[in-house]
Amino acid sequence: MRSLGLLLPALVPSWRFFDTIGPSPRIEYAVLSSPDATPEGWQEFRPRPQRVSPLAMLMRLFWNPRWNETLFLVSCAERLMDHPTLHSEDEIYRRIAADLGRDPDAASQPPWLCFRLVFMARDRDGLIREEGFRAAPRRREAATSR
Amino acid sequence: MTLDAAVRLTEILLSLALIQQSAEHLRDGGRMRPLFLARIGLCVLIILGVGAPLALAGLAVLSLPILYRFQGPYNGGSDRLGILAIWCLALSELMPTTAGREVIFGYLGLQVVLSYLIAGVVKIVNPDWRSGRALRDVFQFSAYPVSEDLRRWADRPRAMLAMSWAVMLFELAFPFALLSQETLVVALVVAGTFHLANACLFGLNRFFWTWIAAYPAIVWLQATIERVISP
Repeated sequence: MRSLGLLLPALVPSWRFFDTIGPSPRIEYAVLSSPDATPEGWQEFRPRPQRVSPLAMLMRLFWNPRWNETLFLVSCAERLMDHPTLHSEDEIYRRIAADLGRDPDAASQPPWLCFRLVFMARDRDGLIREEGFRAAPRRREAATSR
Repeated sequence: MTLDAAVRLTEILLSLALIQQSAEHLRDGGRMRPLFLARIGLCVLIILGVGAPLALAGLAVLSLPILYRFQGPYNGGSDRLGILAIWCLALSELMPTTAGREVIFGYLGLQVVLSYLIAGVVKIVNPDWRSGRALRDVFQFSAYPVSEDLRRWADRPRAMLAMSWAVMLFELAFPFALLSQETLVVALVVAGTFHLANACLFGLNRFFWTWIAAYPAIVWLQATIERVISP
């Protein structure tokens, strides 16, 4: 039944692309020595590169899995604010833990992980950043396997 | 373009688009790998013209666990159109009459036209879009620009204003492209270029392939409307 509920918006779409440009989420993570530790040194998850060459842009027409995954995580971040579910949190945790796991020094890093959502928006004086959500810390192995 | 030719071309183009998407998902591995492998297999069968009705029905059924897995479309509108096209093609195959097939396939063409028109309407009623401010916001702080360098486009307000109006006017005018085959060809070339730009600047490659896959439905719809109006 849940799948059919998700199917309906595809069969009768709304097509309201970019109708309003609201606050935009950035995922930031921190590694912790224990679940009670205060997170410090927040790092942006998958920051965009300074430059992408025109050739790389064209190649991404055919192969763009990492960017599409990042856009999916943006959807998860927005869902966490609109209709919080464990699914969205799991998806974000899983990708952060997987990326960290590829680090050669992964084993020596602190075992706990935490992420937060920081929203960028336009203000009268420029851009503002505001934390909108902070997930409860998880063990890195648990975050990967869920 | 005949109904059969348009349906067949849509089947092939959509299958190619779905193979590309599924291959990207295979990189992620995990429990979903068998589903995406199955989807690739069904797409290959459709391209080869083997067992199309069952293969299309299989693709439609597969869309349900994939939607469930990601709790919605993986990449928003592009996946929505892909799923809509799969279901329209599958249901069209199941229709016992030609009229039934035409209604279902025409619905797909209509939705593609609406995808431009509605996107234009929701923008033009927003003062931020009319002033160019919304597009500046897209470049300045949204999640879409693929590089930091692209964010500097937000510092060109006149270019943003011109681009905003170009996009809105194109989207709003798109239904008029159905007036003739010639205007439709021009509109589809412009639309394809628009999706190509979105793919390059914002990394929305799935939109490019999925929308192009659905274009035969509009081409057929235009020819059908023309035939009905001036038989």
